[in-house]
Amino acid sequence: MAFTPGQPVTAVVQRIEIQKLRQGDNLILGFSIGGGIDQDPGQNPFSEDKTDKGIYVTRISAGGPADEAGLRMGDKIMQVNGWDMTMVTHDQARKRLTKKNEDVVRLLVTRKSLEDAVRQSMTRP
Amino acid sequence: MPAEVKQEQSPSNATSLAMMQEPQEVVEETVTIEEDPGTPTSHVSVVTSDDGTTRRTETKVTKMVKTVTTRTVRQVPLGPDGLPLPDGTSPLGSYTDSIDRRYMKNGGDRFITPQATSTLTRSYNNSYNDSYGETPESQYVRHYGLHDGYVDLADNYGSLSRGVNFRPPRYPYMPNSYRPENSYTLPIRKDDYGHVAQPQVPMGSSTVDLNRSQPERFQPEPYGLEDDRRSLGPEEEEPYELEPDYSTANRRTLQGANRGRTHREPLRDGPRVRGYADDPIEAELIDERHPYIHGMYSAPLAQPERGSMASLDRMGGRRSPSIDSIRKDPRWRDPDLPEVIAMLGHPIDPVKSNAAAYLQHLCYENDKIKKDVRQLKGIPVLVGLLDHPKSEVHRKACGALRNISYGKDNDNKVAIKNCDGIPALIRLLRKTNDMEVRELITGTLWNLSSYEPLKMVIINHGLQTMTNEVIIPHSGWEHEPNEDSKPRDAEWTTVFKNTSGCLRNVSSDGAEARRRLRECEGLVDALLHALQSAVGKKDMDNKSVENCVCIMRNLSYHVHKEVPGAEKFQDPSSLQAPGSAGPQRKKKDDAGCFGGKKAKEEWFNQGRKNGENDKNYDTLDLPKRAEPSKGFELLYQPEVVRLYLSLLTESQNYNTLEAAAGALQNLSAGQWTWSNYIRATVRKEKGLPILVELLRSDSDKVVRAVAIALRNLSIDRRNKDLIGSYAMRDLVSNLPSGQQRPAKNLEEDTVVAILNTIHEIVTDSSENARSLIQAQAIEKLVAINRTSQSARETKAASHVLQTVWSYKDLRNALTKDGWNKSHFQPTVTATPKATKNGKPGYDDTTLPLMEKNQDGYSTIDQRDKDCKYKAGDGSVDLTEREPLKNDTNRKHYIRSNRPAVSLVDACDVKPQPVDSWV
Repeated sequence: MAFTPGQPVTAVVQRIEIQKLRQGDNLILGFSIGGGIDQDPGQNPFSEDKTDKGIYVTRISAGGPADEAGLRMGDKIMQVNGWDMTMVTHDQARKRLTKKNEDVVRLLVTRKSLEDAVRQSMTRP
Repeated sequence: MPAEVKQEQSPSNATSLAMMQEPQEVVEETVTIEEDPGTPTSHVSVVTSDDGTTRRTETKVTKMVKTVTTRTVRQVPLGPDGLPLPDGTSPLGSYTDSIDRRYMKNGGDRFITPQATSTLTRSYNNSYNDSYGETPESQYVRHYGLHDGYVDLADNYGSLSRGVNFRPPRYPYMPNSYRPENSYTLPIRKDDYGHVAQPQVPMGSSTVDLNRSQPERFQPEPYGLEDDRRSLGPEEEEPYELEPDYSTANRRTLQGANRGRTHREPLRDGPRVRGYADDPIEAELIDERHPYIHGMYSAPLAQPERGSMASLDRMGGRRSPSIDSIRKDPRWRDPDLPEVIAMLGHPIDPVKSNAAAYLQHLCYENDKIKKDVRQLKGIPVLVGLLDHPKSEVHRKACGALRNISYGKDNDNKVAIKNCDGIPALIRLLRKTNDMEVRELITGTLWNLSSYEPLKMVIINHGLQTMTNEVIIPHSGWEHEPNEDSKPRDAEWTTVFKNTSGCLRNVSSDGAEARRRLRECEGLVDALLHALQSAVGKKDMDNKSVENCVCIMRNLSYHVHKEVPGAEKFQDPSSLQAPGSAGPQRKKKDDAGCFGGKKAKEEWFNQGRKNGENDKNYDTLDLPKRAEPSKGFELLYQPEVVRLYLSLLTESQNYNTLEAAAGALQNLSAGQWTWSNYIRATVRKEKGLPILVELLRSDSDKVVRAVAIALRNLSIDRRNKDLIGSYAMRDLVSNLPSGQQRPAKNLEEDTVVAILNTIHEIVTDSSENARSLIQAQAIEKLVAINRTSQSARETKAASHVLQTVWSYKDLRNALTKDGWNKSHFQPTVTATPKATKNGKPGYDDTTLPLMEKNQDGYSTIDQRDKDCKYKAGDGSVDLTEREPLKNDTNRKHYIRSNRPAVSLVDACDVKPQPVDSWV
């Protein structure tokens, strides 16, 4: 999902709703994120464009809430509960995801397979 | 051996590196000079400039002399508030206050402190009435000259006893604290102070302090001296360097004398007094008064010395001297130098201390007098006084030695050393807690340390003491940190600055010196702690930090060869052909060579074995250590990379920047395990963009150090790729182009360093060679190759060109741009050596690392000879260039918006990115 800074991003997104799981005092989502505008995007193994500083899903705990909701490793998170995630620091993203008073997070994610699928369906007459 | 040269910065001076003409030692010297407290400071600079070298050296020296002044001045600001002095100065406070107010009152009416003023006045009135018209110097003169100098000292002292008789009536006024010893010196003064001390002003405590030491004054602000001067400057417009002193003195004394005049006048008189002194020495004597003032102060009680007073009094009484009359009086004169030196051995302590103080003053910025003192055998006497039990005596002696040790005349330094002055200074450092004395001692040592032959002597006698007494305590480092106490920050005291400066100088004295410093217990730990604390507080521009970084850089030089056990970390694969040097070193098959080593070495071994391929190797995990490393091990732990990078990012001090880059350069040199780690760590800590940005620095030597650091870093293949992709433009932009000189005119050394770095980057990487072409470098290189006045530049450029031409796949592109083979040939004037090389790099410093001989120094030499002697025009080049313009502010250059990150290794995926479970 390449983009040019300053230009609007067009992406095929999927809506994913994750019900947090309570573990003791913690609410967990069961995945981990990487990236953020304060991180080195060059080291993001999932991005196509190595300057992309977005938030990516780096790991999914098997059978966890995120897994069950259909989140996949390598998904790029575009929004969390309506909040933009494409221009945030790593920590901002983490906080946005882990609000104690929210039991549910609704994500907009994009992933390469989605893009491909859409592109194919569009190119195929 | 080119490799070495390239890799390492000569310890002392980052500048020298690859192209160092002189052997390393020389390089170091350069550094030394820079550092040298005794550097060529001209009088003017000393006087005027408040920073850096100048201040350090002579200024410091001066400080002693000027102490009184300083204090007074500083206090002035307090006056208006009516506040007492802050800090430990309180005892002085009262005293100072009174002086200031007095002064102020006369001078500017700014502060009206009736009490003090009145006191002063009164004292004058009481004691001398009209006789007080005398200016201070006249008093002084009397003191010394009354009896026709010191010709008949006996007589003089005889008169002292008389004085005792004379004086007694006054004693009742004197606080108990007055010290007897000083009585000799200050007879006349004493009177003044005695009166001052009267009821209104709480003199008792102040007296003590005055007598005892100047330390108090300086404690609040060690470098107060300069400040004082500055403040004085505008206010008083004093013409002389020393003025502060006598202005003070004058203020004090003149007030009484000039009471009738307008406010401002008396002050002005101060400097002028000097003006009409025919004899310079005499004039200086005037300045010198404060030390005596102290003495006088306490004098009254001194039993044996009382006589002097008598003489003074006699004089005063008889003559009711006016300045003029005194001046004209043929009967007094200043003691000449032999007499002063003779007085150093006088049985009465105050005489000794006053003589030493006077000597210090005479020596201030006067090389002739310093020499005379030496030839009159005064130095051994002064050194002998260092062991004197009375602080007044050893302090003054130390002050004199500091002035004598300052300057270009190394014979003075040697003379101090020859009479065992260095151990004596160290002894005193161990013994005294007086901050001022410590400043004087360390200042003297700093001066001495600038002379090569003395460096080892200082190390032998004083290294551990200086470390234990100064470096460690002031650095805030603690051997066993107390868990509940916060780690302490470093204190940038004068003593610390002096001592670190001294160590900085001695650290450049070659391998043995480095070994001693590295193995000095606690030194490296403390220096690192101090630097960490500087980074933490964002206080990175001061001289102490600079000194510390320079020491670190010097100690980092050749670590891979000199550190105990270094051979166990050597990377055998590095000895392969240069082309293969890079990240893809073979794993060591022989794990046994790590066998039996400490746990951490096991770790390395393991880490390496785990690397199944080059990529993994490259992301090597740093070893975890069971116990924290300490001592010299800290020098090359990857953790220091972050420290140096912080300094490189934040500091505005060119010397600090250069030294930090030099440290990285040294650490990334060589083929041992640790340098592999360092090179990778610089990349992982995003250090490459920081370094590349500094290529735009306005400081020549910073650019040079950075360029060579990049060259060493590019031993790591991945670094080489990154540097080739992202730094090429900045490297090339530093090169001169034929038609117009670039924005910066860099020195030959720097240009050669950059060329060598470029050469290293394009060697074995056609990709980087392509980047070079894209950066429009060929035109510049050809221009240098053809037209440069510098044989070394020509040669280095020619090597790069040959390397580029050797990539056959690039020739098409080159030809398209209009280049042909002839452009890539060495020019006619180039050395035959360059021509005959298919692979130009091999015989040159440019070339990769370790093959050939390991000794960096010899390489440097060879290379230099090469350049110097083979090329007839070599001599011209240095003069050719215009001096580099230095922007005052390095940060002015535009920081690029280029994604800095891009320089960071994209492949180190595993360790780097933050990853958070949610």
